[in-house]
Amino acid sequence: MLAVGFMAYTAVSHQGAIEMFWFHVWRSVKLSIFMPYSITAQIDLLCHKVVDGLCGREPPRRGDYSSTWSLEEWLELLNSLTALFSLAVGSNSSDEEVLAGLSGVGSSHAEAVLSVIRARREEIRRALLDRTNSISSATLQDFDWQLKLALSSDKISSLHTPLLSLSLDVRENRALRSVTMEMNREELNTLISSLEAANKVVLQLK
Amino acid sequence: MTDPPLERSEDPLAYWLKHQSSSYILIKTSVMEEVDKILIHALKQVGMEASEEIDSIKLFSSELIVEAVVRCIRVIDPGLGNALPTSLPPGMSARFRVGMSLAQSCQDIGYKGEIGYQTFLYSNEPEIRSLLMFLVEKLPRESAQSSDQPTGKSVVLQRAIAAAIKAQLAVPWLPSNCRLPMHCETQSPGAFHSFHVQPLSLPHCTKGLGQKQLKEVKDFQWDILPPVTAQPAHHASVVASILEQHTAELSAAQEWDIEWNSQGLLSRLTPQEYRSRKLNRLRKRIEEQLRSAALPFPESALGGPCSTSDLSELLQNFRGSAPSDHVLTKGTHFTHTQKFTFAQEAAAVTSSIPTGHQSETDIQLHQQEELTSLQQQLQQLCSDVDQLAADMKHMSVTNTQVLDELKHREQRNSEKEEKMQVKKKTIDLLPDSDNNLLKLQALVEASAKRVVNLASQWEKHRAPLIDELRRLKEICSNQDLESSRKLSEIKSLHDRIRVSTDEAKKKEEIYKQLVTELENLPQDVSRSAYTQRILEIVSNIKKQKEEITKILSDTKELQKEINNLTGKLDRTFAVTDELVFKDAKKDESVRKSYKYLAALHENCNQLIQTIEDTGTILREIRDLEEQIETENGNKTVANLERILDDYKAIRQENSALAAKVREG
Repeated sequence: MLAVGFMAYTAVSHQGAIEMFWFHVWRSVKLSIFMPYSITAQIDLLCHKVVDGLCGREPPRRGDYSSTWSLEEWLELLNSLTALFSLAVGSNSSDEEVLAGLSGVGSSHAEAVLSVIRARREEIRRALLDRTNSISSATLQDFDWQLKLALSSDKISSLHTPLLSLSLDVRENRALRSVTMEMNREELNTLISSLEAANKVVLQLK
Repeated sequence: MTDPPLERSEDPLAYWLKHQSSSYILIKTSVMEEVDKILIHALKQVGMEASEEIDSIKLFSSELIVEAVVRCIRVIDPGLGNALPTSLPPGMSARFRVGMSLAQSCQDIGYKGEIGYQTFLYSNEPEIRSLLMFLVEKLPRESAQSSDQPTGKSVVLQRAIAAAIKAQLAVPWLPSNCRLPMHCETQSPGAFHSFHVQPLSLPHCTKGLGQKQLKEVKDFQWDILPPVTAQPAHHASVVASILEQHTAELSAAQEWDIEWNSQGLLSRLTPQEYRSRKLNRLRKRIEEQLRSAALPFPESALGGPCSTSDLSELLQNFRGSAPSDHVLTKGTHFTHTQKFTFAQEAAAVTSSIPTGHQSETDIQLHQQEELTSLQQQLQQLCSDVDQLAADMKHMSVTNTQVLDELKHREQRNSEKEEKMQVKKKTIDLLPDSDNNLLKLQALVEASAKRVVNLASQWEKHRAPLIDELRRLKEICSNQDLESSRKLSEIKSLHDRIRVSTDEAKKKEEIYKQLVTELENLPQDVSRSAYTQRILEIVSNIKKQKEEITKILSDTKELQKEINNLTGKLDRTFAVTDELVFKDAKKDESVRKSYKYLAALHENCNQLIQTIEDTGTILREIRDLEEQIETENGNKTVANLERILDDYKAIRQENSALAAKVREG
């Protein structure tokens, strides 16, 4: 399965596309040349934050950098940095290739970006793999459950039926949708046995 | 003569009456207080709301009586009770109707005593008490209910939970700024955090297997990576994220453990080898799947350049990091084509990256040349491969045919050899045929004899053996029977053991539940106090009974004495009368004395009569006094006044209604 992860990212590596891309990255990162010195020192932090966003955690907040960039510039920078990290790790490019791609940017900045890539390579790779693994139209992002005990209903005075309300956060076309269902014991057993069967198949693929 | 017994007969009765009646009344009142307490407790359990001061039936108002009765009826017969209101309506005629319907439903339940609307509206203590006692006795026993469903402590807990929820549901909803602290717990939505997970970055996870850590990685982990509690965006999801991460790692490790123990160890490989072998197998399987999915539509796959390149890349990816172009040695014509075209493209791409600054026309020309040459090469190779494949197929078919034939012939060969050997022996024996024949016959006879001999021997041995066998079989069957019998016994024993353990468990549970219930029971009804009181009352009653019997025997004795004395008196009087009457004929003075005697007798008779009359009158007086007391207890005057008031009220209502009718 590991190999599948590279599929989407090697697909981009056509000559023309790569040229275009590096140009784009250069143009965006060029903006950082005009950064004041205090922010230049923070470029490491910003890049790490961008990687955090790529890995599913909190991305950098625009409010912290609003004095430096306009909204359009900020979005462009964010997108291009994310794309740069994805491409560099996804196509498994060497340090020299990255440096060559970033040749238009100041050498200190390029070094900083490179060090971030070197530090976070494994983490980015994992996130990209995860993203590629969920190629189906809807994927399970998260789930939560609550166990309830129904003591009685309006018709039956003593019920004593345990009920499980399961909520699934399903990502469908990038939008998060919450699916909630309530099950009694038999239904839950059916669900668990089918999930176990599915897990067996997944284990064979691991 | 007559005086002393009379005095004696009068004295103890009066004495007893004086003392016992007072003590009797005392006992009666104390018992009544006790009964009232029990009644009020039972009524409060049913749901009557009475203040603490009301501790006897005497203090019950009409409203309270109606409420108590209705609540009791509701518990006893919900269908009957739900139609009745718990409080008296303000209108007098409506009150009257409520009283009537209450009396009717009491009679429906089975109350035998005198009852009517007046019982409720113009209450009198003994009637109400007897009615309430009847109703409380009719209330279903809770202990009977609870013994139906004994299932241990959990039932008690669940009942407590249900009660708590019921209480919470009964509390009305309040807007948020009117809530007291006690409402906040149940009514405010509270801190409702859903359980959301965010991926965490942990140093030990990002470490690659067997790789030495880069300096940048270490720097990042030292300087920039925040602690795990600061990594998620919301503080609430810290716990969820950590739990999720932990569970994922744990389950992965466990699953690997299980797989390794069940399959990996059997393969006699090191874990790494096992993993790589599995990976290879998986890749092959996916390749096959994709190929089989792609093959039915070769035209469409070859049709668009975009789709072919995608597919080839897919296949390339499945080969992945393993630099094994020879994995696809068994590939079909199609995959070969794909591989070649792809290799070419990839070569072009990789060559183009470093030479990005060359002029494009050069590159294109170069590519064109390469392309044509490669295509030629490809076509040639393809035709070669086709031819070779056809040849190979043909060869393999002929090979199998030849092998089959070979086997067949070898078989036939061995058969023929056997036949030949037999024939050879007979030919060897032919020259001296007579002799040989004789020898053969002798041999045959000898062997026949031997066979007979052996058979007889066999029979000799066989008979005892068969007997032995039969005997053993019999023993065996006996033992079988025995063992099956014992087995069934053991089974039944087991069953009994199980049943009794089950029972014991059940009883233990019931015991536990009952103990907890006993602990939870409100302690205000002290059972022991009641029983003690009851015992006291019983002993009192016994004492009274004894005294009554003593007095009864006393009176009987007295009666006997009186009868005796009157008989004696009568006889004496008759004798005297006769004697004097005899003498009176002769003597004048005696006649006078006779007259006096008669007068005396008459006077005495009158006196006795008077005394008896006085006794009856005294009794009547006492009866009347009692009646007066009871009547006083009935609050007749007050009730009459109330009846008058109510009557006036009804009349007013009636006139008001009449006026309305007239107006309408």
